[in-house]
Amino acid sequence: MTPDAWLLLAAGVAVLLLAWTAWTLTRLRRLEGRVARAWSVLDTRLQQRAALAADLASEHAAVLGEDRATRLKAVAHEAGRPRTGDRELAENALGRELRALPAELPGVPARLLTELAEADARMGLARRFYNDAVRDTHLLRLHRFPRLLRLHADRPLPRFFDVEDGLDAVTTGAGPAAR
Amino acid sequence: MRIGLVCPYRWDVPGGVQYHVRDLAETLRGLGHHVEVLTPAGHEESLPAEHATWAGRTVPVPYNGSMASMQLGPVSAARVRRWLREGHFDVVHVHEPATPSVSLVVCMTATGPLVATYHAATTRSRWLAAVGPLIRPWLERISGRIAVSDFARRVQVEHLGNDAVVIPNGVHVAPFAQGPSLPGHTRGVDGPTIGFLGRYDEPRKGLPVLLEAMRTVVREHPGARLLVAGRGDPGALRDALGDDLAPSVAVLGEISEADKAAFLRSVDVYCAPNLLGESFGVVLIEAMAAGAPIVASDLDAFARVLEDGAAGVLVRRGDSAALARALSDLLADPGRRARLSAAGQAAAAGYDWQVVARRVLDVYETVVLAGTGGVTAADDEDLAAAGAPDGVWPSLFRRPRR
Repeated sequence: MTPDAWLLLAAGVAVLLLAWTAWTLTRLRRLEGRVARAWSVLDTRLQQRAALAADLASEHAAVLGEDRATRLKAVAHEAGRPRTGDRELAENALGRELRALPAELPGVPARLLTELAEADARMGLARRFYNDAVRDTHLLRLHRFPRLLRLHADRPLPRFFDVEDGLDAVTTGAGPAAR
Repeated sequence: MRIGLVCPYRWDVPGGVQYHVRDLAETLRGLGHHVEVLTPAGHEESLPAEHATWAGRTVPVPYNGSMASMQLGPVSAARVRRWLREGHFDVVHVHEPATPSVSLVVCMTATGPLVATYHAATTRSRWLAAVGPLIRPWLERISGRIAVSDFARRVQVEHLGNDAVVIPNGVHVAPFAQGPSLPGHTRGVDGPTIGFLGRYDEPRKGLPVLLEAMRTVVREHPGARLLVAGRGDPGALRDALGDDLAPSVAVLGEISEADKAAFLRSVDVYCAPNLLGESFGVVLIEAMAAGAPIVASDLDAFARVLEDGAAGVLVRRGDSAALARALSDLLADPGRRARLSAAGQAAAAGYDWQVVARRVLDVYETVVLAGTGGVTAADDEDLAAAGAPDGVWPSLFRRPRR
């Protein structure tokens, strides 16, 4: 091949690489936005659940019993901003406490209990979508080329948020290691 | 809320996805939302007059044992863009986005809150395996994924590495629960009847297995009759019956929605001998809503709907002897039929569109974040963002955020 042909080929490859890089950067930016939006929804819903639990503990302490009310109040307070820094652990403690509530709570307005159950279910939905966004990001970020070219520009890899939510578990491995 | 629904298949051809989109749209409108539908069809005139937009014609391709419609190209892209721009949707809900259809075009064109529902449940889809990685960049834009069954969800997880929440198909329960019976076939009065509904010339619907079983059933219950409703060639079916079975089988042919409900209310036992490929047993839920006791093959989707046999009898698929035994036993035991009928009606209530649509709305509310604006066509947004500091190129040089 003549030097001209080589040059043309090199230019072609460079253009392709540039186009691909731009496209991947767009994808990364889009995914970053999606993860941020999903997290903000999840965060809101977690706080709503904690607030409702705190309401239940402080307004209906007599019905729940002294012990249970104190415990529920403590975990609900802890869930918002845990001292240990482990939010998942704190939210799980709240979830366990809520699930352990007796089915019959005479004197507690039914509306509060329904709202609490709904807040729990909606938190589960938000968590599912957040983790899905994180999974999509992992699948792209852990590819060879984006990693080699450091297209993520040192942004931290988003973390999965794992708490019990009563929804069915994923049946097969689909985590970042599945690829 | 302003909602845009996208149906990938021809509106004028009957099918599960089409009915799903139609019923979801109706129910959401009943709940006070504004719903627009974008769908292909053979002719623009075959769409409803209001709140439906024609996405053009489709090219049929064989897919998953049936015909799927394929549609990609600049013309449909332009239509999609106009629909998105004029709709001002808060959320757009596409169905089967992994098919080469207008749903995929919407995923490629739209930015903003996108929700997708996956219906297909093929375990090994060559299409998905081949193009899954290629279309992934566009599927990444979907912020909320729904699967209509555990099976459909597993396809997602295995082929595309995504997760989805399971929200089942809905059924309008009330029109099935109350109404008249077919004349001459009142349940419990006019001699025992077994019902079959579906495209009876499709082998996967399993009618041959049921016919084989009927030979045994009529020996034990000489008055029993099999009613076959659905599309197909009645001549070929009568040939397949032979002289011995012909008097015990009535071919009703294709029936209307209203007749279908009457049909399900009339039969003493509903039988679904399907061999494979059912993602979801909508017809089983309709039969349960109509109070028909059910004998069905043990497909995953059917077992799920029938609550592992609590709301209906499950038999091994393709096993005509087992099917015959189950049908005969059930015809001989009116008490058990009544119990199954009650259990079925209770189970069907959970699939009522009113319940299901509210769960879909929960998904919409989870992906629509207050204050971020609705769905737009991507190009419009890119033009707007070109001058802004948040474009593509600056991010090359931007330092990591803290």
